[in-house]
Parts: sequence; structure tokens; C-alpha cells
Amino acid sequence: MSLLEQINLPKGINSRENNTGEVKLHRQYYPSRLNLYTIPPINEITIEEFESFALDRLTVLKEIEATILRNKSEGESKEYINQVLAQYLPLHTNSSSEAYSIQQERKKDHISHFILRLLNNKEKHEIKDQLRASSPHVNPETEVFFEVDFEKVLDLVRRRVVYIKGGKAYVPMRDQLALVIDEFRNRLDKALKDTCRALPEIDQEGQVMPILNQIDHQKSGQGYSCSKKIEGQITADDVDQLTEHFPLCMRHLHNKLQENKHLKHYGRMQYNLFLKGIGLSVEEALRFWRTAFSKLNDDKFQKSYAYNIRHNYGMEGKRTDYAPLNCMKIITNNQPGEGDHHGCPFRHFSEDNLSRTLYNAGVTDKAQIRQILEYAKGHHYNIACTRFFELTRGSGSKEQGMMAAINHPNEFFEKSYQLSQEGSLGNNATTNTITG
Amino acid sequence: MSNENSESVSPMEIDGETQQQSANDENINSVIIDLSDNIKRFDDELTMNEKMRIFYQRFFPYKPYYHWLNYETSPTKAFLNREFSFTLDDMYVRFQSFKDAEELKNELLRSVPSKIDIGAVYTMRPKDKKFAPPNSFKPIMKELVIDIDITDYDDVRQCCSKADICLKCWQFITVAIKIIDKALRDDFGFKHLLWVYSGRRGVHCWICDSRARKLDNDGRKAIISYLAMIKGGAQKEKKVFLPRSLHPSLERAYKIVDHYFTVLALEYQDIMDTPERWTKVLKCIPEEDIRKALNEEWKKTPSRSSTLKWDDLLQALQNVVDKNTKEVVAKKRADALETIKREIQFQYIYPRLDENVSAHINHLLKSPFCIHPLTGKVCVPISPDNFENFDPTKVPTVSSIICEMSQWNQKHPNASVQPGERKMNDYEKTSLKPYVKYFEDFVQEILKDVWIRKRAAQQRTMEF
Repeated sequence: MSLLEQINLPKGINSRENNTGEVKLHRQYYPSRLNLYTIPPINEITIEEFESFALDRLTVLKEIEATILRNKSEGESKEYINQVLAQYLPLHTNSSSEAYSIQQERKKDHISHFILRLLNNKEKHEIKDQLRASSPHVNPETEVFFEVDFEKVLDLVRRRVVYIKGGKAYVPMRDQLALVIDEFRNRLDKALKDTCRALPEIDQEGQVMPILNQIDHQKSGQGYSCSKKIEGQITADDVDQLTEHFPLCMRHLHNKLQENKHLKHYGRMQYNLFLKGIGLSVEEALRFWRTAFSKLNDDKFQKSYAYNIRHNYGMEGKRTDYAPLNCMKIITNNQPGEGDHHGCPFRHFSEDNLSRTLYNAGVTDKAQIRQILEYAKGHHYNIACTRFFELTRGSGSKEQGMMAAINHPNEFFEKSYQLSQEGSLGNNATTNTITG
Repeated sequence: MSNENSESVSPMEIDGETQQQSANDENINSVIIDLSDNIKRFDDELTMNEKMRIFYQRFFPYKPYYHWLNYETSPTKAFLNREFSFTLDDMYVRFQSFKDAEELKNELLRSVPSKIDIGAVYTMRPKDKKFAPPNSFKPIMKELVIDIDITDYDDVRQCCSKADICLKCWQFITVAIKIIDKALRDDFGFKHLLWVYSGRRGVHCWICDSRARKLDNDGRKAIISYLAMIKGGAQKEKKVFLPRSLHPSLERAYKIVDHYFTVLALEYQDIMDTPERWTKVLKCIPEEDIRKALNEEWKKTPSRSSTLKWDDLLQALQNVVDKNTKEVVAKKRADALETIKREIQFQYIYPRLDENVSAHINHLLKSPFCIHPLTGKVCVPISPDNFENFDPTKVPTVSSIICEMSQWNQKHPNASVQPGERKMNDYEKTSLKPYVKYFEDFVQEILKDVWIRKRAAQQRTMEF
């Protein structure tokens, strides 16, 4: 990619340029806003800056991720992201250098990128999405094509929007950005691997690691490893009764499990982790699934299913204590196929099925159903789900008119459960009691 | 890859009769001879475990198998660092690895796994995993694999359900192989495609080109997403949405889909025979008035065959076009309705892939030449020339080949080996022969390719 070589990269201006022998403070100069992050920053920064830079960039990335999820039009997304950028990570053009300290801004962009690299491979996907989301449409009338290996334009291959023959992809000029993205992705990939190896050396004084862990925690958002909202121990027998507080995705899994005495792999995973999140212990979870899979004999259950249930609880294999899946993961990962019941009803149900499900769950007003279907159609799955919550349970707290969008099935559960404890369920005129 | 091995590994010795046969084997051999008159008696008197032992002892094609996974004749990391996983009686053992075919054979005879899975090639030997520094044990290569399972067609087939198959629904698999095989070869340029019957209700494809083996997860996901069309779970009736102009790859697939649709969907599976089933088809049509009209009409004549109902449906779509007198509008409508027709055809015929199996480099997949634990069938490779004629109900089983072997031995009591003469392999006495032969040829092609590329690389360095 000779194109890349021509882009101005931040140059290190260092003490080599004056031959006095005295060591000067290292400074980097950024001639343009575009940074491919080839050269690491060499500035000194305070620990406070380190943390705030990283958290600001993280906020931006999270917003970009959320925007992709909401699937807004390109114009809308761009406008929104620009607002977020202006607040957390402004990057002004050279022509506005008088009004803004553009070098400071670019330094922050540069350094924060490299801090997040330290968080390692987990971060990679978010940056990739950022790259994807930011690809603009170019004039489609040009007819020049690049012949490249298909591995170079995986995103175009994935969407089946490029012609491929004999392992070569024919990329129109307007899609050349895909090539730049690939080049950046490869460089980043390699750099992340290097960083991973160098991390112990970077943090010899042990100062950086605690902050990184803190940032990492922020990144993954609120975890629902165990809910404290419910008094006492939940047992397998309680689950059936608690389903009235479940979001539709989980209620659907529960019903299908009762109906078929079986769930396929990803359905089991989604539901089991959720149950773990509401406070079911591993022993009770095993009992719950054993009872539910009533058609199986004990031997088959132990051999084929018990392992996975314990695995979810971090008792097998890598011993990772898996967190309950959030809405983002349920909506975007592991798309359901034939015979699968997992996923998000607002995303993965046909319109007919969704409206029937809503009706059965207590939304009987046609206009209200139509409103939720509209949200789902516009890809606002979380808002649709939140609206469903409001219509069936009241709006969270009485003071606020609208509640914040629900982003986690366990959050749905906890809010619903809490409301019922406060006794506000039933006060609301639109509320319908739900029977599992 | 090939030059990286520093291990000295003793040359393979797998063909010769060097293995000591235990007393147990002798015992089994005499049983084999006693029982040679019919398969049924084998099934009654030998346990599955005993039959498996005989299979691993006498039939498993170690030599080509080793060459396949090693990708060269001299030992390489491709085999040394390859993960094998075994299903034993009561547990599943992961991260096994072997230095050569002989070590593999010894282990198979020792533990007699009911199933062998193949995983990725790792940065180090999988069996040394526990000694690896954190984060250093990583998968680096694996064949791209594709898994097609007939149970994913349960909503469109009615001849069988669950794990059962018959020649009628096997046609779905035949179509799937044809479409996917073509796309992998023509579009992606892959050459070394090994299709393997999974022993019961589906097929696997192992794409062995070095370029495919090097793909990372993103590459695998991209290819599988390029190939996959049927999207949506049990709660979504319409699972195919086509763009207005079809991608060349789908255009090619459509020819195959269209060709099979009449016989497979309309005749064999009779996809519109009951109100419940024709409603499923109608749900793919966005126009409510067409849906209603057809539904009313068919309620009056429910016994009309699916073929006739399909004609009704096409006619109804055509009527909508004809109503538009303006040519431009009519053309647009015609295109839209053609798309609906194709979407239905795709939904019923196009391959359904288990994407998760393909997407991850470290995903395990059942090895070729396993015995399916429940059917006893050998997971045999399927030759591309034979896609159409492959009959899963006639695949040799572990019992049938043992029986064939002992019958052959009885007919040729004096088949002792003269000095200098090759001893006949046991598989050659059975119906397993053509499958092993095909596998050997397949592996030879790979080795030839590797050799040519190595030579070219050597010549390049010599020129400089």
C-alpha cells in the first residue's frame, strides 16, 4: 500500500536535531488529524491524564458501538457521533488552529489509542467496528477495479458485495477504503500482539496495571455475575414463578424449554447464564435443567449437558466465570438458525409472531403493539423492549416520564422484580398482570 | 511450515505387520472366522468396542491419513502440533497429540475411542499445553470446515424427522454439496475439497488448501457469511431476502436451486399439501391480497398437488404484473415478483450451514474414517464425481466390512504372501476399498501441490 506511506505520520522531533548533547524533552508534532498510529507516543503524561484519556476514548467507542446497534441512518449516526467526539475527543482541522489547541487534541487522540491497545485483544473488535461504521459512500460511477486477494477485503466478502473469482476479489475504486481498513487492521493486529508481549516490561513499577483493570471494568459495563436484589436463596422450583419478571427473550426460552423438554446449544447458554445472573447457584441450575430435560435419562444428561452448565459457571475447562449475555451480544452474536429459540424477540421474530407474543404478554392495545413493532422495524430493539417494560410494568419510577433504555436482560428482571417489591405493580392503569 | 520442524522423528512404519497382536486380538480373530457367515451374527456376538478395535487394527487408513494431516511425507508441525480429541466411554479427552501415525495407532488401539475429533494446529504440541506459558498456546492453522446437517431442514422436509434420513431428503444434501462445492472452487479458488459423510445425517467439507488453512476467524466468518443465505430462527417464517440484482455467485446457485425445486420441494416433500404447510409458503409473499386469494382458493381444493398449487401461485403473481398497463411499472412489478418467487425457492432448497462450526479456527470436527457410534457406519469421503449417486443407506458399516473381510479370507485360504509380493490390505477385501482409494488419490494431489510449490520456491532462491 504505497498510499499509506504517503500519509503524513506524526514525526518525533527529538534531541538528535540539536547537537548540544543536552537532553531535551521529547515532543511529537502532528501535521494532520488522520493518525494511523504507527509510532507510539513518547510524551510524558500524568497518571490522571492516563486514566482520563483512556476513559474518554472508551466513551466514544462505546457510543459508536451503541450507534451501530441502533442502526440509524448514516447521516443521523454521523451527526450524533460528531457530538460525542466534540465532547470527549475533539479533533479540529488545521484551519481552526487559532481557536483550538489542535496539537493537544491530537496528542490526546494518539495517547488514548495506545493506552487502549494495552487492554489488548478484547479491544480489537470495537476498533474494527468503528472502522466499519465510518466508511463513507463514494461516487459509484468510477469503473476502475483493483484485483486483490479476497483475504484483503473480508468485509466486502462477508456482505457479498464484491465480485470474487478464483480467490481474487475485484474491488471497485469506490470501495478502496476496504483496502485501507484491511491494512490498518493488519498493522493493529500485529501491534496488539507486540503490546501483549511487552506489557510486563512497560509496567515494571506496577502502577499501570491497576488502572488498566479499572478501565477494563468500565469497558465491559455493569456485570451481572450475581444479583443481590432478591432476598434469600433462589431454587430451581422458584424459576417458574419468577418468569413473570423475565424479559420476552427469556420467557420465550423458558416456555420453549417447558414445551419441548429441550433447548439447543445457544438457547441453553443464553438462558442458563441469565438464570445464573438472577442468583441460581450451580447446584440449583443443574437441578433445574435436569428436571426440564425430562425426556432424557440421567446418563445422557450427565454426559451431554451437565458439563456445559458447569462450564457456564466457570467450573470446567478454562474456568472462566462467564457473565450473563447483554442485549448487544444477544442481538448480534450467534444468529439463530433452524430450530433455535435464542436471540432477541424484537430482532429475531417475524412481525406476526412478535405481535402475537406481545399480545399474549399483556400488550393488548393495537396502537401500542404497532408502536413497538415500529421500533423493532427501525432496528431500535432496546427501545422496543423498554417500551414493552413500560407498558406492562409502569415506567420504572413515578417521577420520570421515560425510563432509560434497558441494555441487559438481567436489568429488565431486576427492575421488574424491584417494582413488584415496592408494590407499584398494579397501580398503573395500563398494567396487565402476566401469567407465565 | 515445512522447514520448521527440528524434531527428529523415526520414520513411519505403519504398513508393515510390526504390531504385536495381543492374545485378545488372536481371540477376536478366531471369532471373526467363526462368524463369517452373516453380518447379523457379528452384531449379536461382538460388542461395539470389539468391532472398533478390529477397525482401528485393520481398516483405518493410517498412511494417507497421516500424509493428509501432515501435508508432507516428512514429519511437520502440521501433524505434531495437531489437536485430536477422543470420546471415550464416559468422558471426552481434549488436546491429544501424536508424533506420527504409529503413535496414533497405538493410542487408538489402547483407548479405542468411539469418536475421533480433529482440531487445529497449535503453536506447540497440544499434549504439552499444561507447560505452556500463559497466552502462548494458540491455534495457528486448520482446514476451513463446513458442516451441513439434515436436521436443519426439518421445517421443509416431511419424509423423515430428527436423525432419520432417506434418499428423498438426502437430495437436500446433494444440492448443498453441489452449490457449496462450486462456490468454493470457482469463487475462492480452492482445489482440495474433501467431502465426508458424517455417518448419519449430514456431510462435512474439509477445505485443505494452504490458503484456507491459514485463515483467521474473521476470514472464516466472512466466507461462511458469503455462502449462507438462510437466516433466522424458529420464530421467523421468511428467511431469505434477495437484493434486486443477484450476485453472480447466487445467480449460479439459483440455476441449481431452480433445477431441483420441482422434484425435491414440490414432488418429494409436497411442501404445500396441508393448510399449515402452504401457509408457510404464503408467508413469504408480502402482498396480503395475493396471500388471501390463494388461501381461499386452496381451501376449496385442498387436495391439489403442490405442483399445481405452485402453478397457481406463479399465475397469481403474473396476474399482478398483467394488471399494470404501463410498461415501465409492469417491468418493475415483474422484477419484484420474480424476486419473491426466487426467495421461496431459495428458502426451500438452498444449503443450510452450521455457521458456528466454520467460524472458529479451534472448533473440533469429527474425523473422516470414524465409525458413527450409533449407526456403525464409516464416515467415508464422497467423491465429487459421485455426489449424485452417493447413497447414505448403503455406506459400509463396521460390521459389514469385518464380515466381508472374513468371507474373503475363507474363500482364499491359501493367500499367503510370497517373498517380494505385497500383502493385500484388509480394506481391499471389502467395500471400503473405493473410499480409501479415493482418499489416497485426494491426499496424493495435495502432496503433489505442496511439492510443486516447494520446488518453485527453491528455484526462486537459486536464481538469486
